[in-house]
Amino acid sequence: MTDEGPDTRRPASLRALLIRKGFVDAGRAEQLLADRDLTALLGPVGEGHELLDTLGRAASPDDALLALTRLAAVPEPYGAQVRGLLASPGEVRDRLVAVLGASTALSDHLVRHPEDLAALAEPTPIGADTQAVRAELLAAVGADPVAADPVAALAGAEGTDAMRRTYRRRLLAIAAADLVSTEPLSLLPAVGSALADLAAAALEAGLAVARAELPDHGRAARLAVLGMGKTGGRELNYVSDVDVIYVAEPADGVAEDEALAVAARLAAGMTRACSAPSGEPALWPVDAALRPEGKQGQLVRTVASHLAYYERWAKTWEFQALLKARVVAGDREIGRAYTEAISPLVWRAVERENFVEDSQAMRRRVEDHVPPSEADRQLKLGQGGLRDVEFTVQLLQLVHGRGDETIRSPHTLSALQALSAGGYVGRDHAARLAVCYRLLRVLEHRIQLHRLRRTHLMPTSDVDLRRLARSAGMASAAEVDERWRSVRREVRHLHEELFYRPLLPATASLTSEDVSLSPEAAKARLAAIGYRDPVGAMRHIQALTEGVSRRAAIQRQLLPVLLGWFADGADPDAGLLAFRRLSDELGSTHWYLKLLRDSGVAAHRLAHLLSTSRYVADAMARSPESVTWLDDDGELTPRSTERLAGEVDKLLTRQDDPEGAATLLRAVRRREMARTAVGQVLGSTDVVAAADALTAAAEVALVGALRIAEYEVEHSADGLLTRMCIVAMGRFGGRETGYGSDADVLFVHDPLPGAGEPEAQAQASGIATRVRALLGQVGPEPALEVDADLRPEGRNGPLVRSLASYAEYYGRWSSPWESQALLRGRAIAGDPELRERFEALVDPLRYPEGGAGAAVVKEVRRLKARMEAERLPRGFDPSRHLKLGRGGLSDVEWTAQLLQLQHGHEIPGLRTTSTLPALAAAARAGLLSPEDYEQLREAWLMASRLRNANVLWTGRTGGQQVDVLPHDRLTLMGLSRLLGYPPGSGSEMEETYLRLGRRARAVAERVIYG
Amino acid sequence: MDRQQDFVLRTVEERDIRFIRLWFTDVAGILKSVAIAPAELEAAFSEGIGFDGSAIEGLTRVVESDMLAKPDPSTFQVLPWRGERHGTARMFCDIQTPDGEPSSADPRWVLKRTLAKASDQGLTFYVHPEIEFYLFENPAEPDLPLVPVDSGGYFDHVPRGTGHDFRRAAISMLESMGISVEFSHHEAGPGQNEIDLRYADALTTADNVMTFRTVVKEVALEQGLYASFMPKPMADQPGSGMHSHLSLFEGDRNAFHEPGAPMELSANARKFIAGLLHHSAEITAITNQYVNSYKRLWGGAEAPSYICWGHNNRSALVRVPLYKPGKGNSSRVEYRAVDSAANPYLSFALLLAAGMKGIEENYELPDGAEDDVWELTDSERRSLGIEPLPSSLEQAVSVMERSELVAETLGEHVFDYVLRNKREEWQAYRAQVTPFELKRYLPVL
Repeated sequence: MTDEGPDTRRPASLRALLIRKGFVDAGRAEQLLADRDLTALLGPVGEGHELLDTLGRAASPDDALLALTRLAAVPEPYGAQVRGLLASPGEVRDRLVAVLGASTALSDHLVRHPEDLAALAEPTPIGADTQAVRAELLAAVGADPVAADPVAALAGAEGTDAMRRTYRRRLLAIAAADLVSTEPLSLLPAVGSALADLAAAALEAGLAVARAELPDHGRAARLAVLGMGKTGGRELNYVSDVDVIYVAEPADGVAEDEALAVAARLAAGMTRACSAPSGEPALWPVDAALRPEGKQGQLVRTVASHLAYYERWAKTWEFQALLKARVVAGDREIGRAYTEAISPLVWRAVERENFVEDSQAMRRRVEDHVPPSEADRQLKLGQGGLRDVEFTVQLLQLVHGRGDETIRSPHTLSALQALSAGGYVGRDHAARLAVCYRLLRVLEHRIQLHRLRRTHLMPTSDVDLRRLARSAGMASAAEVDERWRSVRREVRHLHEELFYRPLLPATASLTSEDVSLSPEAAKARLAAIGYRDPVGAMRHIQALTEGVSRRAAIQRQLLPVLLGWFADGADPDAGLLAFRRLSDELGSTHWYLKLLRDSGVAAHRLAHLLSTSRYVADAMARSPESVTWLDDDGELTPRSTERLAGEVDKLLTRQDDPEGAATLLRAVRRREMARTAVGQVLGSTDVVAAADALTAAAEVALVGALRIAEYEVEHSADGLLTRMCIVAMGRFGGRETGYGSDADVLFVHDPLPGAGEPEAQAQASGIATRVRALLGQVGPEPALEVDADLRPEGRNGPLVRSLASYAEYYGRWSSPWESQALLRGRAIAGDPELRERFEALVDPLRYPEGGAGAAVVKEVRRLKARMEAERLPRGFDPSRHLKLGRGGLSDVEWTAQLLQLQHGHEIPGLRTTSTLPALAAAARAGLLSPEDYEQLREAWLMASRLRNANVLWTGRTGGQQVDVLPHDRLTLMGLSRLLGYPPGSGSEMEETYLRLGRRARAVAERVIYG
Repeated sequence: MDRQQDFVLRTVEERDIRFIRLWFTDVAGILKSVAIAPAELEAAFSEGIGFDGSAIEGLTRVVESDMLAKPDPSTFQVLPWRGERHGTARMFCDIQTPDGEPSSADPRWVLKRTLAKASDQGLTFYVHPEIEFYLFENPAEPDLPLVPVDSGGYFDHVPRGTGHDFRRAAISMLESMGISVEFSHHEAGPGQNEIDLRYADALTTADNVMTFRTVVKEVALEQGLYASFMPKPMADQPGSGMHSHLSLFEGDRNAFHEPGAPMELSANARKFIAGLLHHSAEITAITNQYVNSYKRLWGGAEAPSYICWGHNNRSALVRVPLYKPGKGNSSRVEYRAVDSAANPYLSFALLLAAGMKGIEENYELPDGAEDDVWELTDSERRSLGIEPLPSSLEQAVSVMERSELVAETLGEHVFDYVLRNKREEWQAYRAQVTPFELKRYLPVL
């Protein structure tokens, strides 16, 4: 309001006034205002009383009033002091009300210790001299602050309680000054430092108490206490564990063992003074778990012993923790010797062998360790939380601090500023991250102050949120909630900007605030996030971002985020390279970069695909339109055979050049293969759906090719003499096609009435050859090998037979293996009636009346045994061959096929060309136990997934390696990521496959060999 | 850990050790050794020593032959038989792949992994083995008749017995290597001795068994004798077993002990025994891994051929030894099938896994056997529900092949290797024409 004017409202009731002042429960407030003690102290309080305005400024006027009524009951002279305070406007009165309204715990403290009211008047509790604070707490226990090793005059509980009282008085003073600040975000670093100094002083005083308890005051040991974590960083919370590490050296002439024993007693005494139960409540737990070997380790070690541990045994996260080490109490000289010895190790940690894996695992821990019930309320953990900010800053420090001492500060905000000043992160981004961090910390402080509890959870109730908002200078519960949520989002975004943006060359800067890393620094950072060839990566980045084109401009926008996403994939280098290739191909199209810029989902998916699957990377480069699918889940779903058939139909109608039409057919298949691969890598298409889709793509290609060939003949001099159909066989017939599969088929024809037998046969043969050529010859689109080797008499037989010839052949010669092969026979193209007649012809062979006889069963068993002995390529471990090996595809499929031969005539469900439905039908009919069925199914699915994954990972569709579970760890890791395992699960996946294979083999042996 | 390493480095310096042998065990249970110089020690601790694993039985897949041996400093010992000056020391190693993962083919890792599972449930597994072996006059060679060093019997004190001196020397050497010996005596067969190691956690015990075999062979050599751990070296004399006393501890408390219960056996102990019995046939191909093992297992006398348990029943597979009332921590069960040539890592891992399965699945313990099961007729045994253990390596392998428990405990790699390896052994054995056949058939056929 610019002009308040006279208040024209009619005089309000007290109740309405209270509500206007910010009270939530006005009824209760009215009662409290009439409280006997309160009126005794202040006289009657009604409308217009100054107190109401004063209370209205508190975070929670209700809480403040309640606390005040309690405070009104304190004995004299403190009652008078309260009255005096309230009567005199100014900073001190504001502090009192702020404390009463924001912290029930500190209010309780004031009621219990009204003598501490005086602390509210301390001029500058925040920003007080470190040494003065230390002296104050030492003096409280009667120790001489200037002594080298101060010894308390008050030992035991007396000293402990005296120290704790003084600590709390100072804490009250800090909180009071903090709460009245109009710029809490600006004040935050100073508050954290004041709290850390106070904690350090308490440790020092605790140590003095511990010394007093030992006979010679522990002179044998020179003990230093190193603050770690937030204590070390001088950025402590109101309520937090205090993390420490103890270092000690023997005093002159003392043996090391003896000195360490004494030091351990001193450390234990100090911990007791701070954390053990006593007259005054404990301050906080002193936590020494960050020491070498953690809780199992020795409590106190010498500098040399620490060094030896860190040189050989320490994990990467320990170095990250050590970055914060700072002497906070005890012998400064020893403490400095420690930090000087350890520091070089910290700054070399980035050279450690497993640094990348370790730091990625650490980041996952940061993100994952949030109980789901708290995920929505955590200030500290989870994405966009405080830990996330700290982690980002520390990782940057570790990566670049090796060569640059200016960025080694243990203080998060100082470090961030130094990183920005040193040109490692963008100035603007760093500043924005600092604001986010400050806000999160202020919220955390305010939440903790309410009850002085160690919590990092946003409150849920409206009352609590409202108090929080008002104590942090915001207006309402909704506002604080909204600010918090937007900060979290911003932190995530800034992480990417800070970490990856500076990897772009200087010419790629978006604003003058952006920085570009030196080549050395960029190399270090790329290596630290998992790029195996940082120099190559920098080349790609350079190429992608240089120039003034619109393309380069958008890529500059996109790349930082993409670089991070590639690093999350199994092969970041391949991802970046593939992206460069794709962009070279598509960069100038109008939609490609726009899509990536506008759709976060599409960009994320693209990054995942390119860094996980070489096959997809190649396929996308060849099927550029595939990029558009990423934005649309509907496009990622495999297309049905009917829909594809419709498309092919229209496409052929439009074309009159046969070769051109065939090329288009092949392009359709290529596109569908790409769609399937993309869906499979993204996890939206499972292995069965993928096989279906690949089968459909091959089917429509054959249907189309047959139509072209027939069309050509129809328009030749002879005209059409015969009808054709194509029968899919093998895995193609079973709808189990893989990325590299051939199409196994039989060609069948039936001469038209009046046509001569030999002429019809010659024409049919010509058509079949033409179909194979149209799909198989070299051309711009990938070929589909059409393989008719399963025909009667194999390669020695005619390529095409008439239906009559098939009937004659099967009537006379048919062998068990042909019956078995026909189980997979599915007529897919050509004359519908002929298709039906062919299936009717072979049904009695594959589902023989009465079930396959003993001789057939015996022959199938013998064939299987021979195949196992002969077909497995030499030098392959049978347990790892996915197709022919132990419990591989062939074991499961033969099991299904034997059951089909035996029972297909009586159980309709078994009359299918596909393995899984056949097994399911067998299980429903009780031919397989539910357990056996489950094991065959699992093994078959896993082997199929692995075969697909082999292609997707390597990009190679041929060669024996496709059928083998690889040995090398890198490939196993890639495959496991494709199968949806979390990072680092290569061995687990391997073990799972071997186990499934072994079990399936046992079932197959039982069923096949009896 | 670093203190242990420091200790190793210091001792090597102080005692002027010139070589450190890095020991590990292949899947068959044969000790392997790589010697390194003290200068390589630090690198061995931090990175491990690379070697070509393809030459070692079952250790590696063909394509991935580079392996790392990483010494465990807590197993450091100076080898006493290598002399005082310029001594030699040894450490056991864990085998790792080049990327630092434990090798799935390392028996020590198999045991460690199984122990870790028990330890997740707060349980520690202790084993105390009684190891039997024969002492023969040198030369002891396959083609010559074996000559035992004496003709004493069970617990016989043989005056000026070679075995006596031998045991004294062996025990003092073991003690000097930090392996405590509980008990030693002359066994039933001529030249047969038994030495009992004090109980320790299973990993230490398995390491100790490997050391023990080496020490006994070394001491025998020094005395001009030949020591053998072959399960059944002489057809008409008892075989050499490694009865293993097993116990589980929950912290300091023996989890097998329950005061006042029958035989003071806790419910968990009963389930553990039930687990051992239930899975005993499946694990026999590991606890009795050679063709020869079955000659001991089915050699009569006290051999534990039948799957049953008893209280102090010397013919039972699982025996609950005499307890001293009130000495709760000594409660244990004795598994008697294991022989002296077994791979201790794999055997202990499987014994633990079988017992733990009994506890997890609440197996019911059948009644104990009171009688000498060898005296019963087949139909009596059948009516009592007492099944036999596999009677040959072939049978044992087929039973094991169907065992999920064994596959899971050994891991797929070791499981597969053992199956293949043992089938080959059986094939080779079956192809033999033995002196028995010649003697019996040649004259008449």
